[in-house]
Amino acid sequence: MTERLERLINLVIALRETRRPMPATEVRERVAGYGQPDAEAFRRMFERDKADLRDLGVPIETAPLDRWDDRQGYRIDPRRYDLPPVRLEPDELGALAVAVQATGMVDEAGAGLLKLRVDAGDPAPGPAAPDPRLGIALDTPHRDVLVTAQLRRTSVRFAYQRAGEQRAGGERESQHRAPGEQRAGGNARDRDPAVRTVDPHALVHRRGRWYLVGRDHDRDERRAFRLDRIQGKVRTIGLPCSFVAPDDDVSVDDVVPGRRGDAPATAEVLASAEVAWQVARRARGGGAATDDGWTRFTVSAGDPDDFMFWALEFGPELEVVGPPELRAAVVARLRGLVEGAR
Amino acid sequence: MSRPAPTLARLERILTMVPWLLTNPGVSVEEVGERFGVSREELADDLDILGYCGLPGYGGGDLVEAWLVGDRVTVRMADFFSRPLRLSLREAVTLLLAARALGSVEGLADSDALRRAVDKLQALLGGDGARVAVDLSAPGDELLGVVRRAVDNGEVVRLVYRSASKAQTTQRDVEPWAVVGSGGSWYLQGWCRLATAPRDFRLDRIRSLEPTGERVTGRRAGGVPPVYQPSVDDIEVVLDLAPRAAWVAEWLVVDAVEGHDGVHRVRLRTANLDWVARLVVQLGGAAMVVQPAALTTRVIQLASATLRRYSL
Repeated sequence: MTERLERLINLVIALRETRRPMPATEVRERVAGYGQPDAEAFRRMFERDKADLRDLGVPIETAPLDRWDDRQGYRIDPRRYDLPPVRLEPDELGALAVAVQATGMVDEAGAGLLKLRVDAGDPAPGPAAPDPRLGIALDTPHRDVLVTAQLRRTSVRFAYQRAGEQRAGGERESQHRAPGEQRAGGNARDRDPAVRTVDPHALVHRRGRWYLVGRDHDRDERRAFRLDRIQGKVRTIGLPCSFVAPDDDVSVDDVVPGRRGDAPATAEVLASAEVAWQVARRARGGGAATDDGWTRFTVSAGDPDDFMFWALEFGPELEVVGPPELRAAVVARLRGLVEGAR
Repeated sequence: MSRPAPTLARLERILTMVPWLLTNPGVSVEEVGERFGVSREELADDLDILGYCGLPGYGGGDLVEAWLVGDRVTVRMADFFSRPLRLSLREAVTLLLAARALGSVEGLADSDALRRAVDKLQALLGGDGARVAVDLSAPGDELLGVVRRAVDNGEVVRLVYRSASKAQTTQRDVEPWAVVGSGGSWYLQGWCRLATAPRDFRLDRIRSLEPTGERVTGRRAGGVPPVYQPSVDDIEVVLDLAPRAAWVAEWLVVDAVEGHDGVHRVRLRTANLDWVARLVVQLGGAAMVVQPAALTTRVIQLASATLRRYSL
């Protein structure tokens, strides 16, 4: 470890301070730690070191040795190495530290925060561990690979469980399944997700869920994909820089599935006096009293699954009045529960 | 965005620490330790390594000078490391993600300071970087500010609350421990004096909340957030979750999850079947009760009662 650490530091110094790009042969001869007798061993060592340093963010560039010599050499441009002055104020650093702690990202963002503290002048003692008094769960599988793919502009491919396509029918059927029969008798759609190829444009978190927004190759349009419906691994395909991300800012609203036009964006509900105050929260106010002491609200219903999950929590204290297809879907689910369980 | 391997994490720390040591010659080991999270031994090792580093040639005048004399640390001749390494794109993206998350709701942190920090980080990234948008708003989030203050001050709050198993509200005093955002909802965690047990309260089910002025004292003051402790009287519940409901397995405190063919079988223990019955109804067929039979009965009762509302 010590030997490698020393070698890496020396490589950074050498490439940063070299007047002209340093060819690999010179690295081998002049930089401490690379004096390998075996050319192949040197090459492997140098490749691995370069890759790891680049991964840390060290900007190692390749360039022709000079105007008359087109052999390639390596160098680090100090202007691209040095952290430019960010000069966060103490309260900004403090708020950022709270954010890093609360989201449980001390491991991932702690090193970055430390750089900003040094830049600010005095790196006051930082957070060592998450603060148990405030916790925000943002962790999700696939985030790492999708952020990396976005940064490198690499397309991704994954198996995706389609939304709302395994509704009452299929699931009622699955309720009758004995555990051992699942392979034979299962819902074909559950086992046969569609394969999607997507240019990742943005990641969006909303209402506790993560979405990938990107161009779906097969449909040739921008779509949103729920990360929790991705099955198995996300694989990157093709070369980096294989697409240009649109310049527009992705707003969180872009991923509301209701925008796709296949689901109503709002629903009418009736709430009993016991729960009306709570329904008013989702409706963000409003509500019209009815003769029998209930209250009528218009609430958002972008994602039918989410909406029904919310509505059914109130049991008999809430009725979905419309639109008709949503009301019918609620009734179908309830009937499925009563009949499927018998 | 996993943490780098130990050697690289250490390299990253050294590259961040040296700029500060250059401008603060003679700082104490303790000061370095608390800022960079290093022990005296690690720091001595780091300095030792630095002493072997420098410009090719590695003669006098080429090498970094790094000493630990008594309790004092000095690094010189390392002008090439006078600035920290630029934030990697991943670091910048993660910091932005955390800052945007917290800044998307009022009351959790100094929102104004967070906004300024986001602007500066965004300027640093320029047009590069990943687009990550986070919105943590959820029904009940208008209570976050007052709940967070109560947690920070350790002040007992009086809630009017509707629990998951009933339509009626109850009034209860709660010793607050933590604010938690999870699965699209916000929760207040604390010790419920009505239930005399740890409880999670979903903010949108809180009808009203008032600080009582009473400070929590004694052993539960500043307590850790509750971890559910199953008791011997608890009922074991087994559910099969279809893919659409698989997220529930991560969100519930479950004893075990087995998955095959897209179906997740979860086992959990609970003192109260009512909330599980409600959850099964909410999932509307994506969860199947394997046991106990009493739970199936309650699911049918609740679903039938709800259906009657639809005159069916």
